[in-house]
Amino acid sequence: METIKEREQSPLSRFRSEALPLPDDTEVERTHVGEVVESSTTELIAQARELHGAPSFGQFVRVEADMPVVGIVFNVFTHSIEPNRRPTAYGKTEEELRLEQPQIFELLRTEFQALVIGYLDGDEAVQILPPQPARIHSFAYLCSDEHVRAFTRSDDYLRSILNTSKIPTDELVIAVLRHTVRAHAHAPSYLVQMGKELSRLLSDDYDRLSSIIRRVVN
Amino acid sequence: MAKYARNGVPAAGGRGKQIGVITKGSLVEGLEMKLDPEQNVEDMKAGKFVVIEGDKNDFFSMVTDMRLDANNQEVLLHPPGQEDALLRQVLAGTSTYNIVSLRPMLMMPKDAGADEGPRPVKAIPSHFSEVQEAMADDVAKIFGCEGDAEGRYFSIGNPLDMDTQVCLDMIRFAERSNGIFGKTGTGKSFLTRLALCGLIHYDKAVNLIFDMHNEYGFKAMKENGSSTTFVKGLKQLFGERVAIFSLDPQSTRARGVQPDHEVYISYDQITVEDIAPLQDELKLNPTAVESAYLVYAIYKERWLSTLLKLEGPDVEEFAREIGAHAGSLVALHRKLKRLENFPFMVSKLRDGDVVDRIMEYLDKGINVVLEFGQQTSMLCYLLVANIIARRIHEMYVKKSERFYATQRPEDQPRQLMITIEEAHKFLNPMAAKQTIFGTIAREMRKYYVSLLVVDQRPSSIDDEVLSQIGTRITALLNDEKDIQAVLTGVSGTEGLRSVLASLDSKQQALIIGHAVPMPVVIKTRDYDAEFYSAMGCMDDLPAEERREKVERDVAALFGE
Repeated sequence: METIKEREQSPLSRFRSEALPLPDDTEVERTHVGEVVESSTTELIAQARELHGAPSFGQFVRVEADMPVVGIVFNVFTHSIEPNRRPTAYGKTEEELRLEQPQIFELLRTEFQALVIGYLDGDEAVQILPPQPARIHSFAYLCSDEHVRAFTRSDDYLRSILNTSKIPTDELVIAVLRHTVRAHAHAPSYLVQMGKELSRLLSDDYDRLSSIIRRVVN
Repeated sequence: MAKYARNGVPAAGGRGKQIGVITKGSLVEGLEMKLDPEQNVEDMKAGKFVVIEGDKNDFFSMVTDMRLDANNQEVLLHPPGQEDALLRQVLAGTSTYNIVSLRPMLMMPKDAGADEGPRPVKAIPSHFSEVQEAMADDVAKIFGCEGDAEGRYFSIGNPLDMDTQVCLDMIRFAERSNGIFGKTGTGKSFLTRLALCGLIHYDKAVNLIFDMHNEYGFKAMKENGSSTTFVKGLKQLFGERVAIFSLDPQSTRARGVQPDHEVYISYDQITVEDIAPLQDELKLNPTAVESAYLVYAIYKERWLSTLLKLEGPDVEEFAREIGAHAGSLVALHRKLKRLENFPFMVSKLRDGDVVDRIMEYLDKGINVVLEFGQQTSMLCYLLVANIIARRIHEMYVKKSERFYATQRPEDQPRQLMITIEEAHKFLNPMAAKQTIFGTIAREMRKYYVSLLVVDQRPSSIDDEVLSQIGTRITALLNDEKDIQAVLTGVSGTEGLRSVLASLDSKQQALIIGHAVPMPVVIKTRDYDAEFYSAMGCMDDLPAEERREKVERDVAALFGE
């Protein structure tokens, strides 16, 4: 079967995490990608460490705590620090602006929203919402492949995504599957297994299923 | 259920791999299994043997039908394209799935002792019971194993896609009439020869074979596509235990074997009852038989020779003398004249009554093959088989009655099995009431005689006779009527119908009935050198092995 790896030149390749300059696992562990600024049981918002430096849509993040909370990034947005001041258009490239008006970038920040899907109890993945939400100002890290695998062995994460109403669920499922398949070493059997679970979760909505599956492999 | 296999991995418990789970069904209509997505539906052949593992019982079942199903019309309207390999894989077993119909045939309690056999099915397994491929153990548990001390089990082939034996219970096989059916060219003769070998080898019955096409005695042709080879006949396999009687000694000799006895029949041996079943072949009208009885009333056993001695015009006068209808007697005379053309018909017997000789052989336990040589007309076959079988029947009735009177074991007659080909000629609804074979099929079990009916048109056989047939070995049949006929008197036949129509045209057969605990489709055993040596024929063994075997046999017979 065709694996995702074989198709290098597709428009969706930017979703592929291997196309991103990803730090390796040890670096992932060291460097945080964001800091939690808003937190609830089901969702959290973190500010990215760097402007435009948020994790990709669909990636797994872990918020450090006694029992680390694990979420999936489902929204990334960049806006002005001041709620009442919107950035204005300058008609210049980013490079030119950085040279001429470097201060305006300091007035912007990137934030990302993550859907909480569970937490880590020691090294064990628990696919239940955490007893307490992540704490404000705690750091968010990208999940290592090992943790991703632990959280995606069963289909519960797909169920969490599909049960959430206000996010683009199908798109998120596609993006997440692309990340998880990579973490599972592109095993075709894993993709088939998840496809079957998805078919069940979508109550055999053939139209949605086939569109998701096609876009995952494209 | 952890000890059993999942998804194709053989389990430690000695069971086959899991192929699906039971999803619905009923005792009457059979069960439905959802096939595991890992399994290929093309491996589920009709007639395959599977085991359903219930909570308390194992259910031995046969695959009878398969169905492709989908829970969503959308999938069927917009099927995934060839390039959507992943989508196809995802859909397999979820939106699109395969349902396999199973018919439970026998059940075996899990806590059954070693000597307890399987029982008829009176329950069904619960939801989601696992279904596994049957293993050699399961087959042996049901069908027994060749080589038991009693010599009860005779391996006749393998289950489909399995490498283990299916055995006929020869004792049960011999005690009732049996049928071997199949379209022409599907291997009826081979199946018959196999069954006969089993009977002779294990000495469960002595056989009288009316061999219309000279296939059983000595050498037989093996149709092998373009090439034709020859296989050994019963005489070659069993030597002294088989005697060849021939109606056409020249033809028998031409095939390279000297018949043990030449068969002649005198006119005085023919009774009116022998003529009556020939109505069709001789185109007799009903009054002809009545006229024959008139002649018989006066001349007794010499009725036929008296009648045939008359020439044309004398017959009418003769009719007036005995008070018969002239036209009818003239017609009878004209038609019976055909009998004079048979070379084996003589007015006086030279070396004794052939039926007595046959009986002598049978009494000694020697099997008799009656070859017809070139006398292959149906008229000849019907006539001779009728005459001989009628006399044998009478003798067996006497012997049995003597046994019932004395109750001495040495008076017990040997079980006799009479093999007839083209059986529908003897056993069609008209003839079955007139020929002796109808009687044998219906009631001769208690007189130690049974029939082995070989036929390609079972629908023409009288229902009453068919329902008495114990074991049916059936090769491919296509005609709906024939299939219906073969399944007459078998319960739960809906599933078997599809199995029967989907057999291969070579070397496959469905066995139903008395000699097997459950219906089973087999690939018949090869009739080759290995089989010859299993039957004790040593011609093909190297000299060294032959000597060893003789020494072993001598030791077994006389002690070390």
